[in-house]
Amino acid sequence: MSDHHIELTINGRRHVADVEGRMTLADMLRDDAGYTGVHLGCEHGVCGACTVIVDGRAVRSCLMLAAQADGAEVTTVEGLAEPDGTLHPVQQAMREEHALQCGFCTPGVVMTLAALTGGNEKPTEEALLGALSGHICRCTGYQGIRRAAKRLAAGTAGAAA
Amino acid sequence: MNAEASGINAARYIGERVLRKEDPRLLTGRGQFVDDISLPGMLHCAFARSMIARGRILSIDTAAARDVPGVHAVYTAEDLAKVSFTMHTFFMVPTSVKTPTLAEDHVAYVGEPLALVIADSRYIAEDAASLIEVEYEEEEPVVTLADAKSGPPVHPELENNIAGQMGDEDVDDELEAALNGAAHCMTQRVIHQRVSQSPMETRGVLATRDGPEELTLYITCQSPHAVARWVSLALGLPQAAIRVIAKDVGGAFGLKNHPWKEESSVIIAAMLFGRPLKWIEDRYENLTTANPAREQDITLRIAFDGEGRLVASHSEYDLNNGAYPQAVDEGMAAQMFLWSAYKLPAYGFLTRGWYTNTTGLAAYRGPWAMETLVRETALDKAARAMGIDPVELRRRNLVSLADQPTTSVLGLPLEDITPAECLEKLVGNFDVAAFRKEQAEARGQGRYLGLGIAAYIEPTASAGTMGVMTGELAQVRIEPTGKVTATMSTHSQGHGTATTMAQVIADRLGVPYEDVTVFEGDNSRGGFGPGAAGSRQGVIAGGAAIRASEMLADKVKALAAHLLNASPDNIVIAEGMIHVEGAPEMSRSLGEIAGIAYGEPDRLPPDLGTGLEIQYRYQPPPMTFTSAAHACVVEVDAETGFVKILRWISSEDCGTVINPAVVEGQISGGLAQAIGMVLLEEMPVDERGNPTAATYKDYLLPAVSDIPEFEFLHANTPSKSIGGMRGVGEGGAIIGPPTLVNAIADALSPFGEIDVLELPLTPSKILGIIEGRDIAGTEARREAPAAATQESAPAAEPAASSEPAAAPAPAAETKIDGDWKMLMKTPMGDQEMTGHFETSGSAVSGYLASPEGNQDFAGTVEGNVVKFDLKVEKPMKITLKYNLTFEGDSVSGKVKLGMLGSAKLSGERI
Amino acid sequence: MKPAPFDYVAPATIAEACQVLSEAGGGATVLAGGQTLMPLLNLRMSQPFIIVDINRIPDLKGITRADGGTRVGPVTRQADALADETLAAHLPVMVKALSHVGHYQTRNRGTVGGSVALGEPAAEMPATAVALGATIEVQSARGTRIVPADEFYLGPYMTVLEPDELVTAIHYPDWPSGHVMLFREVAQRPGDFALVGMVGALVADGGTISRAGIAWFGMGPTPIKARQAEAALVGQSLSGMDADAIAELAVADTAPFDDHHASAEYRRTVGKRIFARTLREALQVKEAA
Repeated sequence: MSDHHIELTINGRRHVADVEGRMTLADMLRDDAGYTGVHLGCEHGVCGACTVIVDGRAVRSCLMLAAQADGAEVTTVEGLAEPDGTLHPVQQAMREEHALQCGFCTPGVVMTLAALTGGNEKPTEEALLGALSGHICRCTGYQGIRRAAKRLAAGTAGAAA
Repeated sequence: MNAEASGINAARYIGERVLRKEDPRLLTGRGQFVDDISLPGMLHCAFARSMIARGRILSIDTAAARDVPGVHAVYTAEDLAKVSFTMHTFFMVPTSVKTPTLAEDHVAYVGEPLALVIADSRYIAEDAASLIEVEYEEEEPVVTLADAKSGPPVHPELENNIAGQMGDEDVDDELEAALNGAAHCMTQRVIHQRVSQSPMETRGVLATRDGPEELTLYITCQSPHAVARWVSLALGLPQAAIRVIAKDVGGAFGLKNHPWKEESSVIIAAMLFGRPLKWIEDRYENLTTANPAREQDITLRIAFDGEGRLVASHSEYDLNNGAYPQAVDEGMAAQMFLWSAYKLPAYGFLTRGWYTNTTGLAAYRGPWAMETLVRETALDKAARAMGIDPVELRRRNLVSLADQPTTSVLGLPLEDITPAECLEKLVGNFDVAAFRKEQAEARGQGRYLGLGIAAYIEPTASAGTMGVMTGELAQVRIEPTGKVTATMSTHSQGHGTATTMAQVIADRLGVPYEDVTVFEGDNSRGGFGPGAAGSRQGVIAGGAAIRASEMLADKVKALAAHLLNASPDNIVIAEGMIHVEGAPEMSRSLGEIAGIAYGEPDRLPPDLGTGLEIQYRYQPPPMTFTSAAHACVVEVDAETGFVKILRWISSEDCGTVINPAVVEGQISGGLAQAIGMVLLEEMPVDERGNPTAATYKDYLLPAVSDIPEFEFLHANTPSKSIGGMRGVGEGGAIIGPPTLVNAIADALSPFGEIDVLELPLTPSKILGIIEGRDIAGTEARREAPAAATQESAPAAEPAASSEPAAAPAPAAETKIDGDWKMLMKTPMGDQEMTGHFETSGSAVSGYLASPEGNQDFAGTVEGNVVKFDLKVEKPMKITLKYNLTFEGDSVSGKVKLGMLGSAKLSGERI
Repeated sequence: MKPAPFDYVAPATIAEACQVLSEAGGGATVLAGGQTLMPLLNLRMSQPFIIVDINRIPDLKGITRADGGTRVGPVTRQADALADETLAAHLPVMVKALSHVGHYQTRNRGTVGGSVALGEPAAEMPATAVALGATIEVQSARGTRIVPADEFYLGPYMTVLEPDELVTAIHYPDWPSGHVMLFREVAQRPGDFALVGMVGALVADGGTISRAGIAWFGMGPTPIKARQAEAALVGQSLSGMDADAIAELAVADTAPFDDHHASAEYRRTVGKRIFARTLREALQVKEAA
């Protein structure tokens, strides 16, 4: 059983941790760094609740080891809104479209949409919906999530960050 | 105040799609789910679980586990026995079979927890749990319904595997004649698979003993109040000693009504070990050992006259309850509502729940949903057989507003159900004729379109007929700042009650929605409420919040009138301001008035107390019905057996809609679960009792690509409850399955009928229907229908029931007079009572004594058979017809429960 | 669902990785994208003593042209391969197949080589490698060997890879420009493993098929090369082709099984249909062009 000293950036802040080799990135983010917005819904990569952005890409944090994130730049759902509480355009679109009920799958959905709408490219509705097929929501029947994705694709939810 | 008059016309927030108060927190990762809570000194738990479905435990060796560094303790049943603990059902009564927390001397299902490891981390706890060695003496498990009927009792203390039974074992002769003599008689059999509720947040608890007399639980649940009550009963502790907090819950759907074996074990362990203990179920545990739902088999016979009008019906219904169900489900609710929206003259049934060596049953959104599934799919099948349009067949038989008040075939009073009206609204917005044309054209091109329509009613907001299902409490305060806080007995697992309750309060109080904050999710806040169970919170708590707000507004008006020297009738509260009609210069802010109410008692009228706070507990009518009709259009790919849902329209009547976005969200969520049940989800159990869909790779949940955009039509027939709301939480999951099945069956009709509807309709099964061969291999595996099994296996019947008739003891030897201890098995659980009998010739009189009181009776005696009738008010007004046979020191017999079928009674002389 | 204990090492070079694997004596498992291995670790269905993370080895990444074909480094992310211009130009069917691998989020992390090396029989990448005639470059401290993809797979998650060996490249031979691409997957939801799928390429010269490479996925314990169908196709003229008969031959090479999601009979029935239809549609497109 190996131990590892890792340094990474989480939501723009430097984070240093000593982790066991087997610790997942998700558990490190939750239990060591305190970003409990990273939710564990299945721990086998299907439900998508633990999705975070690592080096610009939306990935399942339950399917990465913490040690693999040494040197990485990680964004969790806590890192999206402005310090004054202003919601990220994805969060705002989801709110306005009633895209959540219990809110457990929500952080993952937000991170996928944020990753896809965060760059200069304007993703198509098809691309957003395709990516959303990697998330399981048990509450909403996806109605609001789909509407939010459509708005984001159309760029009507405000300029993407 | 008049509830109806105070109604919905003046609404400003009721009926609005306002943004939810919960969302900013949840969207930014600031939700507080149970696993997000950490306490100083907290340790983590994992379970060692049974690898077999049935057997005696010979030994449990925990030595290696204890030796793992970071392990603090390993507990088995022997350790937990130091704390007295009685598992209770959802109805807050002890389980009808003894249900251990950790398995004691035997195991009864695969995954049953055997030992609990307490360690520094979940990682270490799992390391240690894997080192626990268990030796068993394995026995043949009873897995399927067929096994349950013929196999040895799962619970050795019972004589068979019947967990609960209602109705008549023999079909009534007149009913049989009506069925056989009708112009059309058809049979529909539905085999419903076992499914997982699969809330995205699994089960979990963080338990901490705060000193010798207090216990705090953070637990993902459906009502912290219900959990506190349950744990109080289980532990025999005063409820005040138990604090339950569940701020955010990641869905529940029936799984989280109360703690079960795992949570209970952790609670006891926390009491014994003295440090905070956390157990978060992982998804593997959730899919293999959390209490699942459904697994049912029903055969429904329906007879029609030459005009397609219902003549008679009969069903036989079996439910797999598993080993330790959270409450015995013998299917009574399904029977009660099966024909309640239809004009049916005669109905009979036999409905039974069976114990098996599988994980015990829990509730799932619309636990009685089989009634709508079997009826609506049968009606479509019958419509095709009789050559009547499915909409027309329903028109001829549905109860419309014009038919009411009336009572259902089982005696349920109906006053304002609107399924017929919802259906008309639906077909008014969907051109059936145009679809049929499109369908015919498509068939010409080898494309198979189908239209499914279904109608139903749903009992919601049940209150007062079962002890646990009751009213809701609203405590509303205008704070000295003028802002409003409300403490509600509600609880949200995504229901958005902090939003909807704030809407009705803002509306009725005349304050901005933004100024209202609702607190819930903590049993130290607010009074008892059973939470989200039975589509009830919007209706009942909404009514409580409305009434409390109106009472509070009256107090504000009285105070303002006094301060402003005006008549209370002239005071208007709007947007957080207090106005005197016709005198705008006298307007004051609510904050100003509130400041006086709290801080300047001298300025108040003499009869008005200080402060601005009101509480009101609302006890609504016993039941409020919601009605709906849905339509769905599908295309079935005849090459692959895949189903694509092209369109789905919901036409529902849930009375006053507080927030359309929330209502539509509830319906949509239920429909998505319905689509999952029909097409994707299945929790198979192999012949050794092993659940074989252990991950989401095998248990398929619907994704965004599986769910169409739903269209909504709202009728708004106000109910008789305050505010006029009707419940809407479960409906989608109830009406969704038959709507979709009917669409698929319609699409497949050129190929023939779906003979036995066995869910889910996988591509393999659908292709089999198209090609008329057993492609999926399910038909070969399928057991015979329930009725046939019963006929061919009479030995499975409980021996006791036939004994009195077979060998009547001479009357002379049986003394009836005296006191008898008797047990009646009813749908609400076992009822114990003492019967006092005094005979005089052919007359008998006496009383039945139970904790609820004594009831006198008078009847007849013939030989050793005693018959008498008793009228009762609970759970509803019915006449109980007792037919008891006395033999020596024992008594047995049947009690006819009116619409509830019949119950078995047994007892002995005291 | 937490992994059992293991030592984690992240070598910087292939040699270093091979050294670790060699010394581990069979107790080490290679971690590439982790999208299949990590679930197995979390479920404790895989309990290695050592995890060798090859994500920090630069030589294992990237797509290049080499030896009349396309060389794909095993740690190339599926998302990168999907967007790769070389691949799009030379192996469009590979891009098509990649778009069906997992989900957007797992493709961001999952690797081409990881999928090829694991050998999930219902996955797209192993079948694509088999169909296109790829060769798999394998290294260990003992040396390097090249294994044809259709000899690489032994059973579900079982390959010829020795415990000390590492996949260091997958080499896809060129197919002439204008070759016909075949791909069809029947899966219950996007991202699911296939109930049945087929992938391949055909070359038609002057109305006659001159080269065929086709493989099934989800139709047996390994990706299955449709050898009989390939043989029948080569030399076949497009005008007189009996697609159904060839599909029948293709199915004859399969060994599908019953599982939660579909029966063997379903797989055979639908497999034959999609094979024939895909063949017909692809060749009609070709003819029209």
